[in-house]
Amino acid sequence: MKDKLRKFLKLDRRWIFLLLTIVMFWPIIKPLGLSSGKPASQVEDFYNFVDTLKPGDFVLLGVDYDPSTKPELHPQAVAVLRHLFSRNVRVAMITFISGAPGMMQELIEKVPGEYGKVYGKDYVAFPYNPNYMAAMTQMNINLYSAFDKDIQGNDVKNMPVMQGIKTYKDMKGCIEITGTGMLDAWVAYVGDKYQFPLVGGTTAISQLGYGPYLQNKQLRGLLGGMRGASSYESLIQHKGKGTSGLDALNLAHMLVIILILTSNIILLFIKEN
Amino acid sequence: MQLIKKYIPLAIVTVVGLLTLATYYVPAGVSSSYLETMNQWETIVTGFSMILGTVSLFIVHGRKVVTFKPGWGYSLTVFIGFFAVFIPGLLSSGLQATPSGQLTSLGWAFRYIYNPLSATMFAVLAFYIVSTAFRSFRIKSPQAFLLFVAAFILIMANVPLGELIWNRVIGWTGCTIDIIKNWIVAVPSVAAKRGIMVGITIGAVVTSLKIIFGIERSYMGRD
Amino acid sequence: MKKTVLSALLMLFILGAVPRFTSAAPEASAGTEVLFANLTAEDMPYDDGHALLLTWGVAENPPEGLTYEVYASTSPDAEAGWTKVNGFVPSEKTGDSVKMPFWAWKYGKESQAVQVNISELAPNAGQEVALKVKALSGDKVLAESAVVKAVPVENWFRTDRLNNFIGVVLVTIAFFLVVSRAKKKGLFVRRIAGLDAIEEAIGRATEMGKPIYYTTGLGAVSQVSTIASLSIMSEVAKKVAQYDSIMKIPHYDPIVMSVAKETVKQAYLEAGRSDSYRDDFNFFVSSDQFSYAASVDGMIDREKPAACFFMGYFMAESLLLTEVGSSTGAIQIAGTDSESQLPFFFTSCDYTLIGEELYAAGAYLSKEPMLLSVLKLQDFGKLVMIISVVFGGIAVAVAGMFHADGFINALINLFTSY
Repeated sequence: MKDKLRKFLKLDRRWIFLLLTIVMFWPIIKPLGLSSGKPASQVEDFYNFVDTLKPGDFVLLGVDYDPSTKPELHPQAVAVLRHLFSRNVRVAMITFISGAPGMMQELIEKVPGEYGKVYGKDYVAFPYNPNYMAAMTQMNINLYSAFDKDIQGNDVKNMPVMQGIKTYKDMKGCIEITGTGMLDAWVAYVGDKYQFPLVGGTTAISQLGYGPYLQNKQLRGLLGGMRGASSYESLIQHKGKGTSGLDALNLAHMLVIILILTSNIILLFIKEN
Repeated sequence: MQLIKKYIPLAIVTVVGLLTLATYYVPAGVSSSYLETMNQWETIVTGFSMILGTVSLFIVHGRKVVTFKPGWGYSLTVFIGFFAVFIPGLLSSGLQATPSGQLTSLGWAFRYIYNPLSATMFAVLAFYIVSTAFRSFRIKSPQAFLLFVAAFILIMANVPLGELIWNRVIGWTGCTIDIIKNWIVAVPSVAAKRGIMVGITIGAVVTSLKIIFGIERSYMGRD
Repeated sequence: MKKTVLSALLMLFILGAVPRFTSAAPEASAGTEVLFANLTAEDMPYDDGHALLLTWGVAENPPEGLTYEVYASTSPDAEAGWTKVNGFVPSEKTGDSVKMPFWAWKYGKESQAVQVNISELAPNAGQEVALKVKALSGDKVLAESAVVKAVPVENWFRTDRLNNFIGVVLVTIAFFLVVSRAKKKGLFVRRIAGLDAIEEAIGRATEMGKPIYYTTGLGAVSQVSTIASLSIMSEVAKKVAQYDSIMKIPHYDPIVMSVAKETVKQAYLEAGRSDSYRDDFNFFVSSDQFSYAASVDGMIDREKPAACFFMGYFMAESLLLTEVGSSTGAIQIAGTDSESQLPFFFTSCDYTLIGEELYAAGAYLSKEPMLLSVLKLQDFGKLVMIISVVFGGIAVAVAGMFHADGFINALINLFTSY
């Protein structure tokens, strides 16, 4: 018996991979419909930040994630963009990550049409800029010195969406969705320096690291991973991929708990005997 | 030779380092002009270095393919993958979509080749995390027990199902998992992170001084 | 007679009570003395010459719904060319709403203080700008101030950052003191298991005839962790050269690759094995995070190295790399300053260097007296930090008990970055 238990402790990782695969596929075949629970306070703060924006206000939406973090961050970006458009806020999408323009394109294809938003009038997408430090600093003096053309190469200065916008002072804030350290750069080079309101969306693993910024109000709100996306979708009452992925997330976490508990119980049993 | 290989690079590092430090205290326009110039130079150098990297990539893998070294098939896929995205990128001038919203060949390659490959690699992480958790969270010492308790609480708190189970079993005591999780995240976790951040920052300051004043020279080879 | 004297005294009193404006024209509309007391325009301090500072006293009994609008003009004829540059409610723009320390700012909540950005109006520093303020209640203009003028000037030193500057100067002086007194022997550095294990790992690789993999992570060469990684790589390469083992260094950044080539070449030269050096020890893989991880994973899985070193800045791919290395049975030594990845390294590597242990590694391995002395400086810095936190906390708590707000604000100002 003890030998069998010892063998279990040295289980080939491929069995665990198979178990996880089954657990994650199951909700796709048979959705469980689990609720996203009560939103965390930083998610509510994020929601309130967007909800208090007035029609015609202008915000930057930082789309700084690539396909690897798409499952966690794209639902956040979609939900936030929906919220912004529902409040008739003008949006300028920017990115400092080379793999993000494709994500921006997917956002443009999916969301504006639902709200009848017109490119150039209600929103605009700027091209990839490799030099984030220079761009963030320049936007405080003149946004057009960092971004004078949009993603298609058209002049942006005369677009209706950019009317009255030149520096951070003309904008209401930045919503940065990223799986990299770009949110730290926004806080350090823009938020603190120019007192520019910031909210962020990150992967679940990075979320804990932003505790100090939330405590000091350097970040006014934060979405963390797929759960954050799901909570936000429940607040805007528009379910999306964040909510549909939550079943798999729930079951995978439970599997981890069960495996950890099982291995510890077996270890205890072996030690006692 | 020493002048070119040692003294001139050291002088450049010291002067540029001190000037960049000075821009933090000098608000005049000359500071922002200097920083902008430096950033532009950095972008140009990075661009050229990509060419350097690509040449290195081609040489290493090309040699393997030509001499049929073990694993040459993988080296061949490097070339296939490179040109599968590079050529569409050239043809569509770097645009993902046309002004009318139609996907270009680059957009297609990005969406149907790069997207799934990149997402798959990140997804593999989930499998590795589960297998690592199974191996690592075994209580073999008091510190391991603390680690286990913290991990257990945070995993339960991170998903609605975990919250539901906890609150049903223990919630009647008034000690919901939210309270414990928020305390762990706001107090010991932030304290530890701040401590590590302070140490790292001091280390970074001292290392930067070492580099600026020429004591740390490993980046240019030693004498 | 009495009436004449009384009238004269009254006139004198009124004249004497009229407030003096430092840079204001005397013509102002009635009622402005109360709404725009001591209106002054001056250059905004500590900026690049594109802003002016407009200040006046907070109105004592402000009318209901009071708002202010600031107008600017560069026209020589001050009657024309006025552009509205700011509009606000009085509580939004007081002296204490500007984030400045006490040693660099003299205005408090008793003054209205408006930073007026005139970069578009007066693009060149040195051009005189005229300013005036209107007080409104809703859409009705209650009063208009006199016109005041000022010239924006480029400033050359940020006095608000004086605390930071003094800190840097002190650290630099301490740095030079420490370096100049570098001792040849006797400096104790505690054992770092991960660094002691390097020799063991390389020895193992030599015995097994397997390669050693070394990754510098995703950082650019400008990042401190990458520089630290390069100094460790130098020592590792020296030992690899001495043992005549094989080293493979896949790179994420081409510039780091160029620097690493020089580092490894130099290490082989110092070990007297320049004939064994090959340029393809260092090779570029990809500048994409997961492409890099996939490629390195494949190489580790096929070649089954005996030792893997992961030193530098890592993100999510850290566990991908270390799990594959662990599955091949390699001895793994990791070091990073990215605290979110430390748990992954701890669970899957044999040895882990945390944060500044990585920065200390160069000094620890080379045992150079100067580098070891500088390590002591780091420790001293941490001691200063601990003392500041403890005594600062006690001081603020005690001052709070005695309601010494001024002292608390001064202390907070001293330790704030502006």
